[in-house]
Amino acid sequence: MKKRISLIVLATTVMVSVLSACGGSGGNAETSGQGEGGSKQTKTLRFATWDTGDALKIEQDIAKKFEAAHPGTKVQVEAYADGFDQKLAAGFGAANPPDVMYMWDFPTYHQSLEPLDGYADKDPDLNIDDFYKGLFNYGKIGDTLYGIPAGFTTRVVYYNKKLFDEAGVPYPKDGWTWAEFQDIAQKLTDKSKKQYGFGVRAENDTYDLQGFVWSNGSSFISPDGKAIDGYMNSKETAEAIQMFGDMVKNGSAVLTGGKGQQSGDDIFKAGKIAMWESGIWPLESFKQAGVDVGTVEMPAFPGKPVKGVLAESALSIAKDSKQKDLAWEFVKFYVSNDSIKMRVADLPVRQSVVTELKKDQDPLYKPFYAMLERSSDTPAFLLNPKWNEVNRQLSAAVEAVMHGASAQEVLNQAVKDSERYLK
Amino acid sequence: MKKMLTYALLIVFSLLFIAPLFWAVTTALKSQQELYLFPPKWIPSVWKFSNFAEAWNSQPFNLFLKNTVIITALSTLGQLISCTLVAYGFARFQFKGRDFLFLVVLATMMIPWEVTMIPQYMEFNYLGWINTLKPLIVPSWFGSAYYIFLLRQFILTLPRELDEAATIDGASKVTVLFWIIVPLMGPSLILVAVFQVMSCWNDYLGPLIFLNDQTKYTLTLGLSQFKGMYGVDMQSIMAITCLISIPPLAIFFFAQRYIVGGIATTGIKG
Amino acid sequence: MAQTYLHNAREQTAALKPLRKRRWGGAAPYLFIFPWIFGFVVFTLGPLLFSLIISFFDWPIVGKVTFIGFDNYIEMFTDDPMFWTSLFVTLKFAALFVPLNIIIALGLAMLLNQKVRGSAIFRTAFYLPSVISGVALAMIWSWVYSGDYGILNYFLSLFGIQGPDWLNDTKWSLVAMVVASLWGQGSMMLIFLAGLKGIPKDLYESASIDGAGKIRQFFSVTIPMITPTILFNLITSIIAAFQQLTLALLLTGGGPLKSTYFYAMYMYENAFKYFKMGYSAANAWFMFLIVLVLTFLVFKSSEAWVFYEGEMKKNSRDERKSKKGGQAG
Repeated sequence: MKKRISLIVLATTVMVSVLSACGGSGGNAETSGQGEGGSKQTKTLRFATWDTGDALKIEQDIAKKFEAAHPGTKVQVEAYADGFDQKLAAGFGAANPPDVMYMWDFPTYHQSLEPLDGYADKDPDLNIDDFYKGLFNYGKIGDTLYGIPAGFTTRVVYYNKKLFDEAGVPYPKDGWTWAEFQDIAQKLTDKSKKQYGFGVRAENDTYDLQGFVWSNGSSFISPDGKAIDGYMNSKETAEAIQMFGDMVKNGSAVLTGGKGQQSGDDIFKAGKIAMWESGIWPLESFKQAGVDVGTVEMPAFPGKPVKGVLAESALSIAKDSKQKDLAWEFVKFYVSNDSIKMRVADLPVRQSVVTELKKDQDPLYKPFYAMLERSSDTPAFLLNPKWNEVNRQLSAAVEAVMHGASAQEVLNQAVKDSERYLK
Repeated sequence: MKKMLTYALLIVFSLLFIAPLFWAVTTALKSQQELYLFPPKWIPSVWKFSNFAEAWNSQPFNLFLKNTVIITALSTLGQLISCTLVAYGFARFQFKGRDFLFLVVLATMMIPWEVTMIPQYMEFNYLGWINTLKPLIVPSWFGSAYYIFLLRQFILTLPRELDEAATIDGASKVTVLFWIIVPLMGPSLILVAVFQVMSCWNDYLGPLIFLNDQTKYTLTLGLSQFKGMYGVDMQSIMAITCLISIPPLAIFFFAQRYIVGGIATTGIKG
Repeated sequence: MAQTYLHNAREQTAALKPLRKRRWGGAAPYLFIFPWIFGFVVFTLGPLLFSLIISFFDWPIVGKVTFIGFDNYIEMFTDDPMFWTSLFVTLKFAALFVPLNIIIALGLAMLLNQKVRGSAIFRTAFYLPSVISGVALAMIWSWVYSGDYGILNYFLSLFGIQGPDWLNDTKWSLVAMVVASLWGQGSMMLIFLAGLKGIPKDLYESASIDGAGKIRQFFSVTIPMITPTILFNLITSIIAAFQQLTLALLLTGGGPLKSTYFYAMYMYENAFKYFKMGYSAANAWFMFLIVLVLTFLVFKSSEAWVFYEGEMKKNSRDERKSKKGGQAG
């Protein structure tokens, strides 16, 4: 028996040393940053993005330009697509994250990110004043800056002009109200054609709903981020969310699928929903699919100012990065005028670029910039570090409303279930 | 009459299995405008075969194909060799702790991958294997529980008299395995090979976690690139799915008759 | 066939009837299973122990790690309704999926086991869905199940039936997931088919001489002879049911109203959406134990119902075989 064990131990030892030997060589190659066939001086900078398709191609082009401007540097663009969070989890978990990465969820990740105030303040090339005001707030935790804005979008209502023309309904205009919106949705619904006035997401991102809640004069959380009772379950919050549940119930809106299902984008492209609420992302694909599409600002609740929510993508540097200066150079390059002009998938963050390209004159883009001026409120996830937990309850409540529950009731329950996370 | 019923059932079930895939193929062939018609159009009015080429060329799919073939071939070879040895060990020997160890083998099938992922990533990172194909190949050379279990079940159905006779004649265990058992296992080994090819070819999570650089990507990672955070390129997904399904399907088509035909001639008939 | 191999083997090995054998005989089984032992120790055991350890910690992927003893386990059982919801969903799914999966795979395999023309085509057709990658599978199913625009409801409407919005209706969503999962039964069918082909024809012959009809033959010959295969498929089905994640993740996201929120998805979200690695590890260890116990029970019970020819003691078949062998020789 002893002999057997010692034999196995011996064999294991041999195998381990073989494995680590062949691993070792790989490891050395990796840490010294030599790409395959790269010269010894080449430094590899890892840049992680969630973008795909054309947006990714542009990012690769920007990376190539950066390489050209910085000889001896290779930018490895790592496209994580749908697996972005999982890849970052593995990377941070093993202290092997990319040097530069796209980022929006700062409350979750900020402890692993490099504070950027020092870089941003010192570096006049960045030209902070050219950025739209307020964008930097989305990359801050407390007073520390963790991300440089790279792109953003606000949300508007898309409408299918053809369906409006067929029904003889005039196109919606900026300054319209939710009552008008619901009325139009009714008129454009035709059950026999399986056509609906509006599409409601079965699984809403509560982040996106904040615009409606703010517009009705409420919010999910108190401005100091400490209380949700009386905010998340206020009459106004419930009213805003109930409205969508009611539209599904009365048939003027259709419930559009969850993650992998036929999305509202798809059904809008098919000409089966007349109005759809979203960011800038699907605009190009709507055009490509041949939809005669218009955009309009969000409707208002009577007598209250319209508010909007802004989704920002920023660039961050990992705390564990071994080449932070180079990483900063890349970030700066990425948000320079030239790079921003190349990127078309979201809205430019620099005012000078927008003015130069006359983006805010384009009728399709104009509502996005109008909504930008209405995006002054701070989203809940930046106000409380435990928001993720609260949001779990809130999301379930919102989903229940879309399936017919009473908003006031389920929101009260959600507040009750969430209170413990805020203590 | 009975034959007719059999055929009727076979055809009905085949249609159930094929119909949704038929849609995948036609989706890949449609023009953008026809993509979102309701009720759906089964046959596209214009067959846009160019969609296939466009999707394939939109990313370095040739490179992805090469990576996938390397991973699949090497890991399949590894599984065949290692699992045969291990399954034989479990099926034909009495030894201390066998049943316990076999239960451990089974238990490894039940480990949820989500939790071992990060420690495994750390380990491969320590070995310097991240962003290489090694994490996707090397572990295959040490057997996988599913195949060990499968092969063990097969070996157990072979009559023991076969190896006993050989052992009496002085053949060593290794000889018995390679000259008596392995030839009889042919069909089940092909079965294992087919399963490993399929799972390797379609593996998404492994490559996703362990590969960073596009030059190392596999076909499924390329495929997932059509599904971004903000939108899905359904047509390209369907086109690429159709294309990358062809090799495993061909392998299956040629292997299946050995799998089902071969078993009947195993040693059971003596 | 086998006879020849046997013969060759005898000739080949007669020369080296070695001392080696005696010396190494005791270690031989361990050497055979060594690859697995090594792989287990290096690639599985370490990560597994690590996950056990972190299950006693508050271990966010980013941020500070704190030891909290059994708190994760306590929270899970006493203070997390999602734990029970997801566990219940998974048990319901398993109760539907496991038996159906085995019955359908076995049924299809038996259909294919008939002598029919074009069996290669049918086999390939039944296996086809198993070749499709997850991303595409989810899209295909979403198109099948869509309430207003799906083919399933289009098909039903031809018969005047108004189908529900399958994936957005809590009454149907789990059933829809079961059906979608059953679609990928190809591997299991193949294993059954291989098992069925392995049943010696003479068993059926002698059964029919004894006057057994088709149904009797099925229960007294077919089923007993494929019990090792059934055991395999049963255990792997149970494991698959508990680990079901891809479809939920890609198709329903656990909804509507958590009706398809599988335990594996709950674990996944705790790890990668809420970044609570420690908690997720505790979830995983609990599930691991459940499946382990289930498997152990199935395995223990198998001694009573699984029949291995290779393990068979002296019985009538041996005698028959030796008779036949004698004739052949």
